[in-house]
Amino acid sequence: MDKSPYIDDDEVFIRMNLTERIQHFILIITFFTLIITGLPLFFYEFKFFRWFIPSGRIFLIRGLIHRAAAVLMIGNLIWHLLYTAFHPRGRENFKEMLPRSKDFRDAFEQFMYNVGITRFLYRRGIGRKFFDRHPYWLFEKPPLYGRYNFIEKFEYWSLGWGSFIMIFTGFFMWNVELSLRLFPLWVHDIFIIIHGYEAILAFLAIIIWHMYNVHFNPENFPMSRVWLNGKITGRELRLLHPLEYQKIAEKRRLKAETKQNSLGKNCA
Amino acid sequence: MKIRTISLILRYISIIFISFHFLHIFSIPSFGQSEEDCFACHNGNIREKLNSSIHGEIGLSCLDCHSDLRGIKEFPHLEKLKPVACETCHSEVVKEWAKSIHSRAPSMGLGLVKCSDCHGDHDVRSKKDPESKVYPLNLPKTCERCHLETVKTPRGFDFIRQYEGSIHFRALEKAGLTLSANCSHCHGSHDILPTEDPESKTSRRKIIHTCGQCHVGIERDYLEGVHGKDYIKGIKDVPVCTDCHQEHNILSPLDSRSSVYTTKVAGVCSRCHDDQAIARQYGLLTGRFKTYAESYHGTASRYGDIRVANCASCHGYHDIRPSSDPKSSIHPANIPQTCGRCHPGASRRFAEGKVHLLPDQVETPKYKTSYVVKKIYIILIATIISIFVLFIAADLGHRLWRRESHG
Repeated sequence: MDKSPYIDDDEVFIRMNLTERIQHFILIITFFTLIITGLPLFFYEFKFFRWFIPSGRIFLIRGLIHRAAAVLMIGNLIWHLLYTAFHPRGRENFKEMLPRSKDFRDAFEQFMYNVGITRFLYRRGIGRKFFDRHPYWLFEKPPLYGRYNFIEKFEYWSLGWGSFIMIFTGFFMWNVELSLRLFPLWVHDIFIIIHGYEAILAFLAIIIWHMYNVHFNPENFPMSRVWLNGKITGRELRLLHPLEYQKIAEKRRLKAETKQNSLGKNCA
Repeated sequence: MKIRTISLILRYISIIFISFHFLHIFSIPSFGQSEEDCFACHNGNIREKLNSSIHGEIGLSCLDCHSDLRGIKEFPHLEKLKPVACETCHSEVVKEWAKSIHSRAPSMGLGLVKCSDCHGDHDVRSKKDPESKVYPLNLPKTCERCHLETVKTPRGFDFIRQYEGSIHFRALEKAGLTLSANCSHCHGSHDILPTEDPESKTSRRKIIHTCGQCHVGIERDYLEGVHGKDYIKGIKDVPVCTDCHQEHNILSPLDSRSSVYTTKVAGVCSRCHDDQAIARQYGLLTGRFKTYAESYHGTASRYGDIRVANCASCHGYHDIRPSSDPKSSIHPANIPQTCGRCHPGASRRFAEGKVHLLPDQVETPKYKTSYVVKKIYIILIATIISIFVLFIAADLGHRLWRRESHG
């Protein structure tokens, strides 16, 4: 992406405002509390967890902490929903976050670009005719991303969907008597299975996918600081979120032009 | 003349009498015996012992037991006396004793266990006398005199010492509850036999009745349950009291060291119910422990939560019945009530599903749904994580390759 005269490379933009950072922080705390207090039930055979929970009393406290963290997480979610619904920036984020067909294409293109097999074949002279006619399949350049790329959107909506499932099943696990008044035992059993496996899925997704993308990715290593200070520089915006960069640049250009026009009008 | 002769004779007689008296003082008995004659030599505490004993109480004399002294005229008697034959009076119990392991001890290279070893000799007392060696509170000490030190039974001294930690012993020692089981309540007194002997009171065949002497209601419940019915049929693998409750170290189920403490029950039941050989032989459903451990009940119990259900909470304990029995706590009609003990307001919904879910053992297809969901999730997780790893590998590979080619 070419540099725009309207955006300085050192200019600071707010990618996560304070509200979003606090929400993210509460999410981190509650998520890992839930994982730590929940995993022992899933991996009940691991010796380590027997060491971690040595007595029945601590097991009961574990349950209390788990539910307390769940309540906090639900509160955080409600806050986020209200923020999304009523705050202008929240609404804007939501619009940016909506999945589009471009995201699926982006994922595919990014992957093919990273693998680079078609470029390799082309250089070897294999299928040259085909690639000359359809240069798209060479994946010469990585796709351009807006404010949120397919990775971030996938994480966001996974979290949303996962939260819904976990809250629903968790609520009925918390209130067994209510659950079994409404559903037969075999349905309640499904709730338990889903709650456990969805948790494992979420845990692995965070550990593998999110941690790679924000920590271990050579681009960010050792860590992206956005979650702490919320800041992103003009350069980072240009390299990582070029469409957003373009959008801002375009907006500023229009603004400058209208200003110039009005100035010109005034002079005339 | 006549009068002088008579007085002379009288004088001689009196001298003889007086001299006899002196002789007696110097402990030179001559003929005839009385208690006094014996105590003249045996002047230790035998007299007090005998007087305080039940034999002394009813007025037995030395000769009544030491009958071989009867013919002897000259004292002191030289040779050692024969062992006392208690059977003269106590013929029934001695007959019992003759059949017991104690009478056979010499054949095992141990000393004969005689009546006096347990009952004492001169100080033999009624078993109702708190001073008696066989009084319920004193009996364990009496048996332990040999069984903790000299006589090693196949299972060792520790096995016997375990009794001192049991609830039975605690009741004896702390509360002085004489009804609480001591050695003889279970092993018998005169007719003690090794447990391996089918006639023994502690043999598998008889232990139910032995415990049932005191635990009458439990014996009745047990015999009505599925285990008891098989026990009556003579099936040898069926659990008897001691299989679940252990033997000498029986503890209250509320004691966390007990083998039937709530967190340990599952382990006890699964000894048989997860044993492939036993399960195959008697057609038991296996995987009971595994499916329990997977459930919240099992997992929480494993972590020491004592509020959750163990096997006995749902199945009962002494009178366990199959679910087909309408009286069973797990008969579908009774499940709401059984579950309702912990889950107030439990409805018949509790019965619509399988607690021990092993898909090949479930007939109703919808009950297997959770199992299917689990499979789907495993596939889903594997797929998604594989995609993550692929993407990460491609990204990392690309960056490293680019850095190399640029560097």
